[in-house]
Amino acid sequence: MQMGRKIYRYAVTTRLSHWFWVIAFGVLVSSGLQIFNAAPYLDASDKSDPARRVLSINSPAQGVGTTTIFGRTFTTTGWLGYTDDGMGGRGPRGFPGWITIPSFQDLADGRRWHLFFAWIAAACWIAWLISTAIKGNLRELILRPSDVPKLWPMQAYYLHLRKEPPPHGIYNPLQKAAYTTVGFVVAPLVVLTGLALSPGIDAIAQPLTWLLGGRQFARLWHFAGMLALLAFFVIHTFQVLTQGFVNQMNSMITGWYRVGSEDVAGQ
Amino acid sequence: MNRKLFIATSISSALAACSPIGTALNNNQKFHAALGSAEKLNHALIGTRGMAREYRDGDVDRDFRVNGLPTPSDSNYQLLVARHFEPYRLVIDGAVERRGGFSLAQLQAMQQTTQITRHDCVEGWSVIGKWTGVRLRDFLAAVGPRPDARYAVFYCMDKDDQNTPYYESLDLHQAMHPQTLLALRLNDAPLDPDHGAPVRLRVPTQLGYKSAKWVWRIELVGSFATIYSGAGGYWEDQGYEWYAGI
Repeated sequence: MQMGRKIYRYAVTTRLSHWFWVIAFGVLVSSGLQIFNAAPYLDASDKSDPARRVLSINSPAQGVGTTTIFGRTFTTTGWLGYTDDGMGGRGPRGFPGWITIPSFQDLADGRRWHLFFAWIAAACWIAWLISTAIKGNLRELILRPSDVPKLWPMQAYYLHLRKEPPPHGIYNPLQKAAYTTVGFVVAPLVVLTGLALSPGIDAIAQPLTWLLGGRQFARLWHFAGMLALLAFFVIHTFQVLTQGFVNQMNSMITGWYRVGSEDVAGQ
Repeated sequence: MNRKLFIATSISSALAACSPIGTALNNNQKFHAALGSAEKLNHALIGTRGMAREYRDGDVDRDFRVNGLPTPSDSNYQLLVARHFEPYRLVIDGAVERRGGFSLAQLQAMQQTTQITRHDCVEGWSVIGKWTGVRLRDFLAAVGPRPDARYAVFYCMDKDDQNTPYYESLDLHQAMHPQTLLALRLNDAPLDPDHGAPVRLRVPTQLGYKSAKWVWRIELVGSFATIYSGAGGYWEDQGYEWYAGI
């Protein structure tokens, strides 16, 4: 393996908040799916309205699970609708027990987990934002207009259509685009759509729920935001796995990143 | 390649272990209690501020979804229904100056307020109804809460299959909120048995389980710790948050 120069890339606050965020995100997704299971459908409306149902997961008959998306119904027995009940058997259930916390159907405890780890996730985000802003590293991270022309060359490099990545700072333009979108657009939207579901907050900030299209619509946005974060998580994990996994993991644990070694990843 | 396989296996095992680990932690009492600490923070930050959105007549669900425990089926309730709730008295006692019982006619004679508000169930669904009744603050003003009163506890006529009765509680701040209603009518008609006749609570700034149906007694107390299992409500006794504003 080629020996590159080492740079101190991640401050301790960044590393800590990153790993806390991984835990919090995992818990929020699985407890969120637990909460979803209590009413396994999403409507593009304010009050519940079957005529504006975008997604529903059903068990129309014993032993059968179906998922309906935009009016199209798919048989999803075993995965969605009729699946792992979290107690060793199978039953009518939205998402399966192996992906929810707790595994068995328990809305009260799902809410406990969700409302607690929502605070952990928010605290991580704020701690990271403040420390990064103080250190002046936000400028390295946020996508600027000058980065936009470099987006395709970077993608071309990833696709092996180009030998060298375009010149960039600590983060390449695609990383900047991803982190800016996730950190400053999607994550705040997921928080806002979650807040809009609270009747207490709706009473304080009525325009928030209204702007999102109503309460059920906010529930739909919240779910869609989760899917977007999940997509980022999958791509991010894939990138880490393929772009010098050991170096990447080392840097997010110790802070030190070996420059240039991604060129020889996997060799 | 072996290293990649190892990494992939590790990651999938870690993911697969999440739900069992979470479930195990969920059964740990100390951890479970720690998770509940968010409720206090949420209550302190959100509390009872602002007003729930009020809708127009056209937004109302004529077929208001029935929620909660089954409609009472015992002979006492059947008798009340058969006699159009003429023998019904809403009992008020505990830390109040004037204890007593209010007939439906007496409640109907008090200042009536109408609200068209959205009922948000903890399960996730929402339904809009038009409610008419007595503001709880007006009712409490008529009976005079004593200074030691901190909570209003609502005792209900419905029971679950274990014969455990439904009950709920609000702090006086929420009880005095102008939209907290002792509802007598839904969608321009007297409440029917399935929707909580003759009197139900409406708390549009909190989740639906706070809006107790079939209320027969209101008790003002300093603490609800000794009532039933002590968590302040039927669902609260089963692990749901007492503060249901979120």
